[in-house]
Amino acid sequence: MPVPGHHIVAKPPPFDAPPYPADVFAGQTVLVSGGGTGMGLAMARAFAQGGAQVAVMGRSLEKAREGAARIAALGVRVHAMSCDVRHADQVAKAFDEAEAELGPVTLLANNAGANFPVLAEDISDNAWNAVTRIAIDGTFLCSTEFARRLIARGQGGAIVNNAAQYIWTGFPGDAHSAAAKTAQATMTRKMAREWASYGIRVNAIAAGFFPHETSTAGRREGGTEVLQNMIPAGRTGSIHEFGWLSAMTCTPFLAGLTGQVILQDGGESLRRSLMMPDYVPPRERSEGPWGWR
Amino acid sequence: MGWLSGKTVQLVGESPAIATALQAHGAELIREGDCDILVHFVAAPDEKPVHELSHAEWRAVLNAGLDQRFFLAREFAAQRRAIGKGGAVIYVGVPEQALGSDQAAAAGALVNLTKTLGVEWARDGIRVNAVLTFDRSETLGNLVAYLASDYAAYVTGAVMGVGLTDG
Repeated sequence: MPVPGHHIVAKPPPFDAPPYPADVFAGQTVLVSGGGTGMGLAMARAFAQGGAQVAVMGRSLEKAREGAARIAALGVRVHAMSCDVRHADQVAKAFDEAEAELGPVTLLANNAGANFPVLAEDISDNAWNAVTRIAIDGTFLCSTEFARRLIARGQGGAIVNNAAQYIWTGFPGDAHSAAAKTAQATMTRKMAREWASYGIRVNAIAAGFFPHETSTAGRREGGTEVLQNMIPAGRTGSIHEFGWLSAMTCTPFLAGLTGQVILQDGGESLRRSLMMPDYVPPRERSEGPWGWR
Repeated sequence: MGWLSGKTVQLVGESPAIATALQAHGAELIREGDCDILVHFVAAPDEKPVHELSHAEWRAVLNAGLDQRFFLAREFAAQRRAIGKGGAVIYVGVPEQALGSDQAAAAGALVNLTKTLGVEWARDGIRVNAVLTFDRSETLGNLVAYLASDYAAYVTGAVMGVGLTDG
């Protein structure tokens, strides 16, 4: 259903009006995992709007290059790389390459992730391993590679992790991602403590529903128009406002911010009422945004 | 950058860091009357063992840290609804487990009030968020200003700290 006309929907400024000056990240390089598409691309573009040079990492070099071209259009230097964040040697090599091309990496956005709705009993070992290790091991490997280099140089920096709005509630029908994303948020808090004395800040955004061309919702028949009224805020998120908040946590405006997980979901995860529709186990759901079997 | 250009803010409580940041980002601070944004700051109460607190002392902390915060937000939201405009409420205080049991009760209640009002008033375009911290730096001021601004249009019902001592 459409949002009733008398409801008020809060909206962000347009993409060409970012919340920070065009040189806020000048002279810095950000590495964005999974930066070629979707939410990673939104993060990368937001950093570029602040003048950061962007190293775009993706499992597919082609997608990373496509994303890099869109980022370069904002007027910053970019470099696209192929990397599977589950492998320490590939991560180290990617940092070597990024730093050789663009200079020291002082900002890191851990976005790489895989996710698809599936019943828990249908999750294969491979699927479980892929979804959990890309987020959990990938965030560990990229963050530690990043931190070791900064510590060795005596340089500070900032990390932002792309977590999800379901990290505190669970997500029936998405068990692998529910586990993986919460690990990202809890390691955010601990890494922030471990690296505070080195001037490395670590924060996360617990992001809600930000449809984009590569998300399940984005590919849904009929588009995302019908989903707007489901969210308390009266709309799904605009991908650029997610990018901005992510990049914002890394700016000097929030120089003291660390160890925080910021919820940005339009109230979606907080919906609650005494009377709700009957409970239907995921395996018995016949329709909805997700096709089950 | 003018995050709050053209917006009026009522700042309740004494917080120079927040007042400075709100103005630096373009907001006009007003003492009373209709405003676009309500920022409600409550300083840390004294810490005493809970069994040494009189009921009156207990009540004073709960009144400042919870009751007055709700009453003011309720009034603010009613004003916004009356003129058909959205708005933002930002509660600022100290973390829940950091001091006495009185503060633990007040802050815990405030956290779940924030989550509740954020959803209950979502379709009035009124966002409600909380920052619980000991931080008094520019970061706190900027964070509050950002949450107050339209840049945070998709942030509501969120509770966060600033630094590592904020839990």
